[in-house]
Amino acid sequence: MSLPQFRLLRPRSVEEAVGYLATHASNIRVLAGGTDLIPSMRQKLFEPEYVLDVRRIAELQGIRPQRGVGVEIGVLTTLNAIEHSDFLRKHYPVLTEAAATVASPVLRNMGTIGGNICLDTRCLWYNQSLTWRKACGFCIKKNGDLCHVAPGGTKCWAVFSGDTPPALLCLNAEVEIASPSGARRLPLREFYTGIGDDYRKLQPNELLTRVFLPESSADYRGVYRKLRVRGSIDYPLAGVAVVVKRSDGHVSDARLALTAVNPAPVLVKGASAMLSGKTMTEELADKVGDLAARTAKPLTTSALTPEYRREMIRVFTRRAILAIANN
Amino acid sequence: MKKELIELNVNGRTHELAIEPSKLLLDALRQDLQLTGSKRGCDDSSCGACTVLVDGIPMLSCTMLAASCEGQEITTVEGVSEHGSLAAIQKAYGDWGGAQCGYCTPGFMMTVKHLLAVNANPTEEEVRSALSSNLCRCTGYSQMYQAIKAAIEAEQKAVPST
Repeated sequence: MSLPQFRLLRPRSVEEAVGYLATHASNIRVLAGGTDLIPSMRQKLFEPEYVLDVRRIAELQGIRPQRGVGVEIGVLTTLNAIEHSDFLRKHYPVLTEAAATVASPVLRNMGTIGGNICLDTRCLWYNQSLTWRKACGFCIKKNGDLCHVAPGGTKCWAVFSGDTPPALLCLNAEVEIASPSGARRLPLREFYTGIGDDYRKLQPNELLTRVFLPESSADYRGVYRKLRVRGSIDYPLAGVAVVVKRSDGHVSDARLALTAVNPAPVLVKGASAMLSGKTMTEELADKVGDLAARTAKPLTTSALTPEYRREMIRVFTRRAILAIANN
Repeated sequence: MKKELIELNVNGRTHELAIEPSKLLLDALRQDLQLTGSKRGCDDSSCGACTVLVDGIPMLSCTMLAASCEGQEITTVEGVSEHGSLAAIQKAYGDWGGAQCGYCTPGFMMTVKHLLAVNANPTEEEVRSALSSNLCRCTGYSQMYQAIKAAIEAEQKAVPST
């Protein structure tokens, strides 16, 4: 299948890119690695008049540690570069582990950290060709007025399926967003809305530019566990990220986040309190696993049954905690 | 949409092409340059049959715009042979039955070429991990692993020991 027709814009600076976004905000899509946008354009999910190819903006590339502050990651940094960064592996291992599970090695050469954060929410009724959607019935996220997953409701439940955002949430990441009125910074946990068809707080004239990891999140032990049908290529069907800091055999701080089971990646409320000050035992891991499973709201948006995906959230949470405890 | 003039560097030669900005790299290679080695498999950005090297890095040509690749060096399977004869890995694929129906082979070639360029002596696990980007519907993976092993051994023999 070929792509719908569009005009291609190739800015070399953030300023130039934001200028294009301001002029064409009503009908433009941002292209970075292309691994999310191009398949969707092929399926006629997006038919913009303009495509803004930001790949040539050099200032948005690279991982820059800042002593005493943390690390700044340009949004165009590929997932492969994140996976193989010695600095990130040493200080923010949960992120390199999550990045290493995204799709396949070749797709990680293309896909970027910014693209993974901005990944469109997915659903079996949405990520299909125009012919398929026409035949089986359009849905609320595109061209239709009903949800096939939760009939009767008016909310879109398309599922957020990025692997790195739960890791970034555990690390208290912030994102920088550029717009015609300047740049603003936002904690990543405030970036997502939890609504499938309006899943992120990014205006059409705004561009995600940088990701920041604070130094206070450095050197936590971290684990990411991902459920998928094949060992490569696939999007997650359930994902769990856990970070833990220990002192004297006790947990001094911990965070737990989920992906692929809700319309947004979510930090599990109460997990930190449940783990802090405790020794990581099997009993405690079970308790946190139960809490995580209650936070997950998987629906029939994806392969495998919602019941199985929710159960695997419980199992992976337990295994992730015990993996950290036994390491 | 109006066609635009772009310069595409493929297998060491620069081509001037008049194409639509929405044209995928795979289509520019196959339709405009008649380089039909790269294949359209899944059309879903997952199978790897269209893999080419962009500045030496394997990428999916079905998931890139041709116009976005201006200024970059593209290598397709047509550019893998050396001085008109098969590269060691191509010969080994033939000898060990690494290709069955052959449709996925050009994509695998590019992935393997990159793997051996960055890691001359990969472990079996590293080979399996690198090849996990490409799908073979004939499921002839074992023969491919054997072929790659043979190609590495042939390469090592070819280098005179000092």
